[in-house]
Amino acid sequence: MREFVTKRLYQDVEGTCTGRYGYIVAVVAIMDIKMGKIIPGLGSAEFEVQYSAILFKPFRNEVMDAVVNTVNKIGFFASAGPLNIFVSHSLIPADMEFDPHTNPPSFHSEDIKIEKGTLVRVKISGTRIDATEIYAIGTIKEDYLGVIE
Amino acid sequence: MRMPKNRGPVRPQAEETLDAARLELGNDFQEAECLLISEVRVLLEAQYDAKKEDKNLKEVYTKTLEYVQKFSRYTNRDTIKEVRALLKPTELEAFECAQLGNLCCSEWEEAKSLVPSIGSKISDDDLDSLLKQMDSLKKYQG
Repeated sequence: MREFVTKRLYQDVEGTCTGRYGYIVAVVAIMDIKMGKIIPGLGSAEFEVQYSAILFKPFRNEVMDAVVNTVNKIGFFASAGPLNIFVSHSLIPADMEFDPHTNPPSFHSEDIKIEKGTLVRVKISGTRIDATEIYAIGTIKEDYLGVIE
Repeated sequence: MRMPKNRGPVRPQAEETLDAARLELGNDFQEAECLLISEVRVLLEAQYDAKKEDKNLKEVYTKTLEYVQKFSRYTNRDTIKEVRALLKPTELEAFECAQLGNLCCSEWEEAKSLVPSIGSKISDDDLDSLLKQMDSLKKYQG
């Protein structure tokens, strides 16, 4: 029974995302499984499980590294694991301009280029959370941010 | 990456008030353990075979695994232990330690700019020395 509850915990909880805890990436350890209670009327049993897990929650003003996925004229999208971060052109240094003619399209200045696959250091400027997903916006317009060599 | 300790029902704070620059992470995360990207990599890789066999590879897991493999700074567990040993005696909070370990700044100005909550918790010279030691560990790891 314990094995069944453990498997169900992994299936139900891993991969979910809430505003409060962020992404539940992986359950690491199960500390306690309380005795099951039958739910009247449903015929199913409810188990309270105490467990520890790896969570990923982005915070405003947190700096993290990310991989650029798409670039268009309004900015670029980058991902840090399951989290998508949008960096608007207004939060990209002014000397970088969008160039639709490069293949793939990119933002570039004289010596730096941002395109799909580029690694960037981003500061999270805000997060919006709906029921099951986190949307983050970021900036690279400050010191020590931007393309990572 | 963070692991909150179980402390019973707590009312969550409004998201708008949370701010990493002031180390205001909310009730759930304020006292939580913060893992280095390299530590998360060790943990997630350990689960890979079992998850693959159970056909339970969720997108969040695989995307995170790919991310930590790409950005992991330390290649083996001994190096991770040594980095932790360097960070432990400082007065820095869990989040700040993890950020320093993950971002690998070259000097104190960069570190204090990217992790502003550090402020005067550690002197510029001490921080510089800490960063250089961490960099040596990274350079000479097996």
